Amino acid sequence: MKFEWFVASRYLRSRRKQSFISIISIISIGGVALGVATVILVIAVLNGVEHGLKDRFLSNEAHVALHIFDHSFFKGYQERIQRIEAIENVVAASPVIWAQIGIFPEHSNTIQDAIYIKGIDPAQEDRVTGFSTFVTGSTDFQDSELIKKTELFREETITGGIILGGRLATRLGIMEGDVLRLLIKLVDPGHGSLVPDLANFVVIGFYESEMEVYDNNFGFIHIDAAQELYNQENRVNFIFVRLTDAELAPQIATKIEDAADFSVLEGMPSTRTWMEAQAPLFAALRLEKIATVFIEVLIILVASFNIASTLIMTVMEKTKDIGTLRTLGSSRGNVMRIFMIQGSVIGTLGTMIGTALGLSICWLLSTNTERPSYWYVLALVVPIVLQFLIASQHALRNRGGWKFAVGILWLIGIGFGLYCAVRPISLVDLGLSQIYQMHQLPIKINWLFVIFINLLSFAICWLATLYPAWQAANLKPVEALQHE
Amino acid sequence: MLNPSETLIRIIDLHKSYYDGESELPVLRGIDFEIKTSELLAVVGASGVGKSTLLHIMGTLDRPTAGQVIYGDQDVFTLQDNELARFRNKEVGFVFQFHHLLPEFNALENVAMAALITMPNNKAIYDEAAALLEYVGLAERLSHFPSQLSGGERQRVAIARALINKPKVVLADEPTGNLDQRSSEAVHELLWDLNAKSGQTFVIVTHNSELAEKVDRVVRLVDGKVVSTGLDLSD
Repeated sequence: MKFEWFVASRYLRSRRKQSFISIISIISIGGVALGVATVILVIAVLNGVEHGLKDRFLSNEAHVALHIFDHSFFKGYQERIQRIEAIENVVAASPVIWAQIGIFPEHSNTIQDAIYIKGIDPAQEDRVTGFSTFVTGSTDFQDSELIKKTELFREETITGGIILGGRLATRLGIMEGDVLRLLIKLVDPGHGSLVPDLANFVVIGFYESEMEVYDNNFGFIHIDAAQELYNQENRVNFIFVRLTDAELAPQIATKIEDAADFSVLEGMPSTRTWMEAQAPLFAALRLEKIATVFIEVLIILVASFNIASTLIMTVMEKTKDIGTLRTLGSSRGNVMRIFMIQGSVIGTLGTMIGTALGLSICWLLSTNTERPSYWYVLALVVPIVLQFLIASQHALRNRGGWKFAVGILWLIGIGFGLYCAVRPISLVDLGLSQIYQMHQLPIKINWLFVIFINLLSFAICWLATLYPAWQAANLKPVEALQHE
Repeated sequence: MLNPSETLIRIIDLHKSYYDGESELPVLRGIDFEIKTSELLAVVGASGVGKSTLLHIMGTLDRPTAGQVIYGDQDVFTLQDNELARFRNKEVGFVFQFHHLLPEFNALENVAMAALITMPNNKAIYDEAAALLEYVGLAERLSHFPSQLSGGERQRVAIARALINKPKVVLADEPTGNLDQRSSEAVHELLWDLNAKSGQTFVIVTHNSELAEKVDRVVRLVDGKVVSTGLDLSD
């Protein structure tokens, strides 16, 4: 094997001796490196987005929601909550009345929107979804100052306070202290035609989680008020549960159903995990990831074609030399290994450099430090000029020390250039922070995937060497010798 | 010491044809002759008569259509490709009209190459290579690359290279065909000296009558056959 390494390493090197490695080797290595770096980077961003979104969801979303199959109300929820909270890995549970209703803002006689209403017990709800941390204004549904004031000046009966999603309020022009009419149901007062049953609520605060789903579509009222509206004293239709680890939701959901212990008359128990609730989004993210991996593998494949064509060119260029080597007594195996080593070195170096580059860029994108001005990227001029000098000055060409020094300078130059140029990407500046509630492009490296992509890249590059090496090995010595 | 009268190579009824689609082009049509140890033999003949083909087959670079080449008592074409490569490496040295040095390697490495194929890289090989280069008069040029050497110097490196594994025979195909008068003479001197001093067997394909005059024996090819083996140089 020593002989093959001896020859292969010389073929990788530059013949003109301006640098350590020939330009064509550098281009092939660069192709693989860029491919691998892109894959690692893109997947880290997609992972980061997925994790960021998950974190956002889970900050104000229950992990499991328990209900009866047809969403009907049930009694004895406090006992059930006690039983559920006794399950291992359950942090807390809270009773909820969940309904959809139409709303009439003040001075409006048409339904302006249909929103989700969550009737909650604020203390219990806090332990499950951290409700009050997202509220600006009061969370005192029953005795807020605003309610008292409104009751003083208005003739209508006030049922209680409501906390509205911030954006919903902005959209409908609803201010704090406004009275909002909720259309609960239609009733027949006895004269044959139906009339709407309305309830008046005072807007006491706004819910600002910066999650579009909640801020734009939700209103929160006290559980007692909700029970009153629906004539469901001591009943709820949902129990929301928080777990120690959100990923356990599917396993614990069944235990929760068992603990709820609904009777046959009450109905079939059912649960919905946060994963199911957000299934379309996460499915879309996963699809995107799969599609991306697919495209990225194609990029590496393209890079491997680069290796193959480099090797085929080398084989063509070296045909005569291969003939000579065969004349000197190299076997087909010797020749084959020479070119496979050459290709494998390109693939291995490319993959390693690509991994280092990808991980460095990930690190730079997620590290908030004061960076030098973008102009310092111009430091790259130093190695470029030195390289040019070496190329043009005969005296410098054969000095190994110079080439080594310039190699190091290139490394430092590129590293410093990246440090200046690659910074965390602000989503605030791009106007995307509102939707995703992330201040900068999130990065999360999946190490398993990094290892996977390394192995894949090695494998693809190695396969790319097979044909050219085989081609070289099968040259007929006499024909190769006479090749011009 | 080598026994000069011992038969080194026997070539028996050697045929070689090239095929171009349907048509057969016979080049060698039954060659028979023997080469003795320490002999300096010239193969002469008109262009295209198959001298180079004969040399390639003798050097196991190509297989014959029919016939045998026997080194000692080894019929070489019964060997597999890998064994043949090993045989070539150990027993045969080549010198071509064009030097065929590897451009990425310096003179010393070029000479050492054949030894490096089968042996681990060691100082002894390079010492041997350096000694050979010194012998051919290139002691000062060890680290020069082929592009930095003159035509005659390259050919002398090529000769040194052919000798590194102490082969039984050196096959030379027009070794001076591409050199000027002075360089040619230097190369001739070298071959003579090697033959005289170390008893190295040489088979030289040549057009050069001056060279052919100084050999032990001449094999003349006409129409793919040997017409005379002797010192008769008349056409």
